[in-house]
Amino acid sequence: MVSKLSHLQVELLGALLESGLTKETLIKALSEVEPYVLQSESQRAINALQTEKGEPCPDIPNLPNGMGEARLSEDETSDDGEEFTPPIMKELENLSPEEAAHQKAVVERLLQEDPWRVAKMVKSYLQQHNIPQREVVDTTGLNQSHLSQHLNKGTPMKTQKRAALYTWYVRKQREVAQQFTHAGQGILTEEPMGDDLPTKKGRRNRFKWGPASQQILFQAYERQKNPSKEEREALVEECNRAECIQRGVSPSQAQGLGSNLVTEVRVYNWFANRRKEEAFRHKLAMDTYSGPQPTSAPPLTPHNSSSLQPPSALSPSKVHGVRYNQQPASEAESSSSNHHGNSSMVTTQTILHQVSPPGLEPSQNLLSTDTKLVSAPGGTLPPVSTLTALHSLDQNPHALSQQTQNLIMASLPGVMAIGAGETSSLAPAFTNTGASTLVIGLASTQPQSVPVINSMGSSLTTLQPVQFSQQLHPSYQQPLMQQVQSHINQSPFMATMAQIQNPHALYGPKSEVAQYTHTGLLPQTMVITDTANLSALTNLTPTKQAFTSDSETHTESGMHTPVSQAPTIHLQNQDTSIQHLQPGPRLTSSPAVSSSSLVLYQSSDSTNSHSQLLPSTHNVIETFISTQMASSTQ
Amino acid sequence: AGKAHRLSTEEREQLLPNLRAVGWNEVEGRDAVFKEFHFKDFNRAFGFMTRVALQAEKLDHHPEWFNVYNKVHITLSTHECGGLSERDINLASFIEQVAASLS
Repeated sequence: MVSKLSHLQVELLGALLESGLTKETLIKALSEVEPYVLQSESQRAINALQTEKGEPCPDIPNLPNGMGEARLSEDETSDDGEEFTPPIMKELENLSPEEAAHQKAVVERLLQEDPWRVAKMVKSYLQQHNIPQREVVDTTGLNQSHLSQHLNKGTPMKTQKRAALYTWYVRKQREVAQQFTHAGQGILTEEPMGDDLPTKKGRRNRFKWGPASQQILFQAYERQKNPSKEEREALVEECNRAECIQRGVSPSQAQGLGSNLVTEVRVYNWFANRRKEEAFRHKLAMDTYSGPQPTSAPPLTPHNSSSLQPPSALSPSKVHGVRYNQQPASEAESSSSNHHGNSSMVTTQTILHQVSPPGLEPSQNLLSTDTKLVSAPGGTLPPVSTLTALHSLDQNPHALSQQTQNLIMASLPGVMAIGAGETSSLAPAFTNTGASTLVIGLASTQPQSVPVINSMGSSLTTLQPVQFSQQLHPSYQQPLMQQVQSHINQSPFMATMAQIQNPHALYGPKSEVAQYTHTGLLPQTMVITDTANLSALTNLTPTKQAFTSDSETHTESGMHTPVSQAPTIHLQNQDTSIQHLQPGPRLTSSPAVSSSSLVLYQSSDSTNSHSQLLPSTHNVIETFISTQMASSTQ
Repeated sequence: AGKAHRLSTEEREQLLPNLRAVGWNEVEGRDAVFKEFHFKDFNRAFGFMTRVALQAEKLDHHPEWFNVYNKVHITLSTHECGGLSERDINLASFIEQVAASLS
């Protein structure tokens, strides 16, 4: 298309384009340049060029002052006349009669065009510059609904009204162009209407995040939920650059963004809002788990009570029976809350796995902000352990990711964002390292599910991570936890045994025998064992391998390794240790096996006492787990 | 446009070494910096000048320059303060950028 250009012409063109000119601007400028190069040949050339580009009206008025806006109707017009401000014409702005006439001519031409095409142009211009519709409505007097429908759906609009719209469009383009042109120089010439029209809100429009900036922010959010001031400032620069590029403007003209300029404060607020959002989603997830009952201190309780009917006089032997009976209810519950019980657990773990220590901080924030969360005695413990567990899940990121995503979506609103990569706005942020987000959510939920544990003390905190996994079956967890707590004093072993053997007693208050079974079996729940097993708990924390080395089949159970390795960092109370059953991974592959392996696993590194405990519980757990798995597999 | 005040000694110590490192030299007898640019041919040289010119307009700060075929001599100084100012430093940096991209 380009005629043969000399090298110099190419160089000059390159220089022009490099200086921030856009192609459209250049073309428009060609017609405006008349006054400077007003020669018949150049005029013809310009016309030829324009028609070549499909210009419908080659009869560009020969403007005496060259400040007119040549409107190229088919192209989306970008800011015009940016660097191209004829110095001699600086004073002649919008209000000059020629300019007004020129604008009218442009509007006329637009009116003759296909309204839908012009509407598309106007709409994309609004999107490109993030201009709120309200601004258009305020200045044109059009009805906002009508305007929206016209721009989005092509609803017909009368000529008179379209004229008003196009007039606004023409003026706005000039205004924005000047905004950008003078961004670095201050306002040298009179701005037609100031930065933007004086709105009812005052001079400036409400700031709005552009898609480009949001993308950058979400990516940064994935990396770290709580950026420092320096990082925020870096993001400010990046976002403004992206916004300028979106508008076809050189990034050095960022000031021209006007009301949509990204500032450090705005970035700070964005991050704060995302964190709150996540906490809230997490809270909602917890609520979902708990069922429709109002969330009370033991979130699981309501859930349990609703789903299960704990027989008050169940003997241990009947526990199983109860359990199974309850299975359907719990199954229903779990299935209703989780699309894939296994996967959710898996995902949770996966999520945890991906969380990195830095993410603990935000999780802590979540914990603090989440009202339902019980304040953990060792504030850092639960999230850390949770995260650790998650880290261990890394073994099977792919296998779990899908499930995880699904489950997470189902179980935790926050998780949804992470796992599913669904439409949720958070999806982009979470698709990659959703784990971190999830973890946080999980971490926060943990306290909820096991409030008792927290109150118990450090030992309880270890349970928190378990909660996380238990979220999938919160009802189950709660009773266990509570019972555990009550028995912890006695001895870990005894507590566990007590739970197992006398679930009823333990669950008295809770009256959820079934829950007990859940908890006992749960891969999700933590079986309280000896202190020796504290190491197992510790793996919840930084070791990251919590879920990795499942003793046999499942990679996720990193409990193995970390258990042996992790010192009792997080388990402050040496009296109890909690075995973290790894529900997720196991469940997916072979529930029954997994549960058993879990149990076995935990005993692997623990002391004899632990092993003793395990076998007894193992069967129970196994059975229970199998059942659970079946139900959760829905 | 940037600040037009003459650079203080500390500022010079801070900023000029960078320029000196890339070839800008102080002019004898006046408070200015000078550099010679060579390009492959006139086109490149003039393309460079065009870019610099556009930026100069934007910054409202213009260089003193001379061009013969593929050589460009540029002297930077600020008239308002009678010496070097921040504007010169800015423009010099930009010129370096452009020259780098063109060579």
